[in-house]
Amino acid sequence: MTATSRTASVSVAKTNQGGGGFSWSVLIFLGPAALFLLVFLVYPTIYTLLLSFNRGRGGEFTNWVGLDNWIRLFTNDPNFLRLGIPPSGALWNNVLWILFYVSLTVLFGLMIAVMATRVRYESSIKAIVFLPQAIAATSLAVIWRFVYSPDPDTGLLNALLGVFNAGPVALLGNPDTVNWALIGVGIWGSVGFATVILSAAFKGISSEVLEAARVDGASETQIFWRVIVPMVSLPISVVAVTLVVNVIKLFDLIYVMTAGGPGAASRVIAFSMYQEAFPQGQFGYGATIAVVMVLLLIPVMVYNIRRFRAEAVQQ
Amino acid sequence: MRKFRFVAPVIAGMLVLAACSSNDEGSPGASGGGGGGGEADGSITVTSLWGGTEQEAFEAVLAAFTEKTGIEATYEANRTDYPTVLRTRIQGGNPPDVAIIPGIGTLRSLARDGSLISIADLGLDQSSFEDNYPPGILDIGVVDDELYAIMVKLNSKSAIWYDPARFEEMGVSADAADFADLVDLTDAIKAAGGTPWALGAGDSWTLTDNFEAIYLKMNGVEAFDTLFGPDGDFTDPTVQAAIDKMLEIYTDDNVDGGIDGSLSTLFVDAIAKVFGTSPSAELYCCGGFIGGIATGADVNPDLAGQEGTAIDWFPFPTVDGNGEGLVNYGGDVMAALVNDSDVAAFMEYLTTPEAGTVWAEGGTIISPLKDVDTSVYPTELIQREAEQISSAESVSFDGADRLPGTDLGAVLQQAIQGNDMGPVLEEFQNQTQTAWESE
Amino acid sequence: MTALENTTVKAPPRTLSERIVRFIGRTPVHLVLSLIALVWLVPSIGLFVTSFRPSADMRATGWWDISTWTNFTLDNYQRVISSEGMGEAFLNSLWITIPSTLIPLVIASMAAYALAWIKFPFRDTIFLIIVALLMVPVQVGFIPLVAAFRESGTGLLTGFGAVWLAHTAYALPFGIFLLRNFFITLPKDLIEAARIDGASNVAIFRTIVVPLSVPAIAALGIFQFLWTWNDLLMALVYVQRNAAQPMTVKVTQLLGTYATEWSLLSAAAFLIMIVPLVVFFSLQRYFVQGLLAGSVK
Repeated sequence: MTATSRTASVSVAKTNQGGGGFSWSVLIFLGPAALFLLVFLVYPTIYTLLLSFNRGRGGEFTNWVGLDNWIRLFTNDPNFLRLGIPPSGALWNNVLWILFYVSLTVLFGLMIAVMATRVRYESSIKAIVFLPQAIAATSLAVIWRFVYSPDPDTGLLNALLGVFNAGPVALLGNPDTVNWALIGVGIWGSVGFATVILSAAFKGISSEVLEAARVDGASETQIFWRVIVPMVSLPISVVAVTLVVNVIKLFDLIYVMTAGGPGAASRVIAFSMYQEAFPQGQFGYGATIAVVMVLLLIPVMVYNIRRFRAEAVQQ
Repeated sequence: MRKFRFVAPVIAGMLVLAACSSNDEGSPGASGGGGGGGEADGSITVTSLWGGTEQEAFEAVLAAFTEKTGIEATYEANRTDYPTVLRTRIQGGNPPDVAIIPGIGTLRSLARDGSLISIADLGLDQSSFEDNYPPGILDIGVVDDELYAIMVKLNSKSAIWYDPARFEEMGVSADAADFADLVDLTDAIKAAGGTPWALGAGDSWTLTDNFEAIYLKMNGVEAFDTLFGPDGDFTDPTVQAAIDKMLEIYTDDNVDGGIDGSLSTLFVDAIAKVFGTSPSAELYCCGGFIGGIATGADVNPDLAGQEGTAIDWFPFPTVDGNGEGLVNYGGDVMAALVNDSDVAAFMEYLTTPEAGTVWAEGGTIISPLKDVDTSVYPTELIQREAEQISSAESVSFDGADRLPGTDLGAVLQQAIQGNDMGPVLEEFQNQTQTAWESE
Repeated sequence: MTALENTTVKAPPRTLSERIVRFIGRTPVHLVLSLIALVWLVPSIGLFVTSFRPSADMRATGWWDISTWTNFTLDNYQRVISSEGMGEAFLNSLWITIPSTLIPLVIASMAAYALAWIKFPFRDTIFLIIVALLMVPVQVGFIPLVAAFRESGTGLLTGFGAVWLAHTAYALPFGIFLLRNFFITLPKDLIEAARIDGASNVAIFRTIVVPLSVPAIAALGIFQFLWTWNDLLMALVYVQRNAAQPMTVKVTQLLGTYATEWSLLSAAAFLIMIVPLVVFFSLQRYFVQGLLAGSVK
């Protein structure tokens, strides 16, 4: 482009965009979304933040209680956070979920994606693995109740264990195993999501890179970890971030499968928030938990933001 | 593209219509939905969490009401998230006319929010129907000296169920007058090769039933009322003593599936372990309504008609000789959320022996009304349950339902695992105290 | 995919024996994938079989007990389908889900376009704030929004309006995130050229951006459809009239008080699943392409 035409196109472009300032276009395009977000997300968030300093009877602002809810949450509520050895409580359970659910879902997702490309029934595999995403939470609970049932006559897992003469286990009834059992269900439900995204990303890797590595004598495992994973690191982080956000907002699965039990062993933050607010009517306290949830997500969001700033720079 | 221009506004119009349909529902009440005085429109909606046979039994009552007064009455089941739906409907200005209030803690909370209409405000005179009830039963629905909710049904929670035919085969007898006899019975069943108990600990309220039966018998009515009131102390040694008693029968060996297995098992599934088509346990405590469920479609309809031969119950035994004649029971209270003459008529109808009789015939509940004749209950087992209640020296309303929202069941789920309950009870006491104080 | 893709190091197998050798060489992969397919299918198959079993069987033996398969019955399905109001509930599900899917698609794509291709101050900050709003869980909105709906005096809570608006709003952060990241990968030259020709933003959006973005928009649509069709809690809270409730809610009303009729629930689960599965399978090809959007350069 010559200098003059470049300036010309820039100035025309600027005119069309309203010279970099606000224009009707922005209002039309962004306005509706902004309105929805303000009313349905921003307003309740602020409301909830304020409610956390209040008794919150009936969900309305009835008595100011200052920091009472906050103090109670962190010092006096073992269902939320019990600092012991091992630590427990809803907050700790979310940590377990983040560590294991996210990493294993991404790992299995990528592995399945890579393996599936080698076979001709690839899209069937992906569809099968994705299927759980189409299933409602209550239905998932029924499915897995039949798998985990402690009775070896009706529970699939125990029936299989019985074949190997292993005793029946009651995974959902034992506070030591309940979280792992639930994480297993979570992974089962989410691997499909990871697989489909990472499969598309994996196909974007040029095959000559892979062939070159093979020719160099690298084993498949080495190729997986040293070539594939780094090259899809951005999609991996997108999937991981989505999953982490899901974990912190995780509610449905816990609610339908164990209602936080036995005792309060499988509670997670979002469940605690709901439980305190609605059945127990302590809306102010529930609001406090909700604010903690949002605060926990801030580092995740910051990471996400940094990631995309870096990507924008590269573009 | 041209056609599209016409289609779009038409679709938009339809959407708008669908978006804001039927404004005739719900009173345009000011705050909390409890206010608006209403012109009666000849119909009411009643909501509860009942389903299945309980729903049918109640709908018979509604039908009888409609026949008598001409006011249409519809039942809306809210099967999941009942407190949430109730609260958000109230907030949204669309409260049901009448609702079952689950738990007295919720009753207090809603009443103090101003979401409920007191009986007096409905225009009903308490003294006119008070005598229909045994003395004291109506007190459970009183908040801050005002009667808000009426007890509409109850069930004994002092019954232990078993299969007499299998007992005969095993050579054991259901003659357990004292808790020690119950322990012996447990051992005898084990010796005969059976598994004594089924426990639906996945539904933690079943554990509270067990605990309360024991606690009531061990300590008496006053101590029971104190424990589940604002002055209660869960760190008191009597609580641990009751838990220990409970653990005498509920051990890994005595319970079908072990303790962990029972914690994964829900209420009805546990009933099926005793009364289903391939039973694996022999005893089940504690609700009077268990018989109805066991003979129902979901568990084993073949048992219907075999009451007394294949299914029976005996009363919860005394503990160390104490507690004779004391019965703990669970009941449901109903309150009005909208003030109009239709609702008042319905609430009044519920206090009549007529309503109680219709409901009792359904075979799912015991009516609190005095004048409901025992013979209307469809099976002998339920008749005995009604007699247990009416001939009791004293009846105590479910304790866990009186608490201000804290979850005793969750605590007991930890207890049966044999955990050290000292710190757990202390924390529970703190939470409960805080909850009482902030009510 | 590069131009060199077709020149692989090994030639594809031609003879039958070569094919067999290759197949065997991949046996570990086949084994693992078969195992994975099993693990992912078997639980759902279990549910499917259970939906045909009578209650008594379901409590006594496992669904894999072939000897009980002779007892298969359509009772469970019949009970669900013929129950009062189920047909209406199905229509309600459609009424709720379709607008709750289409409206956010429109709003999110418009907002994404603005954030991708219109320059205005604080644009990137606004985008990041919108993404940050992913954090907000739906439950915090229940009480304040329901109260706000009531005070607005409109009948939105008794019709479908409230739930449409709520579903739309909560779909926006993820939708805008996904679509904006896709839109910025569109060819810049094309859009610049259109601008030079004097096209307005609306025209560019309609004629260039949307047609090129169909895969991404379709993928978002599928996600949103699945989410709203299977939703229970939002419907309970924002649709405050019993006759307007969707299938997910209606099914719970079929249950007895203790909600343990597993056979019934199994049948209901599959009936609820039919529509999402149809939607998913028919739009599957968009899905893969669409999800590629915005995450791979």
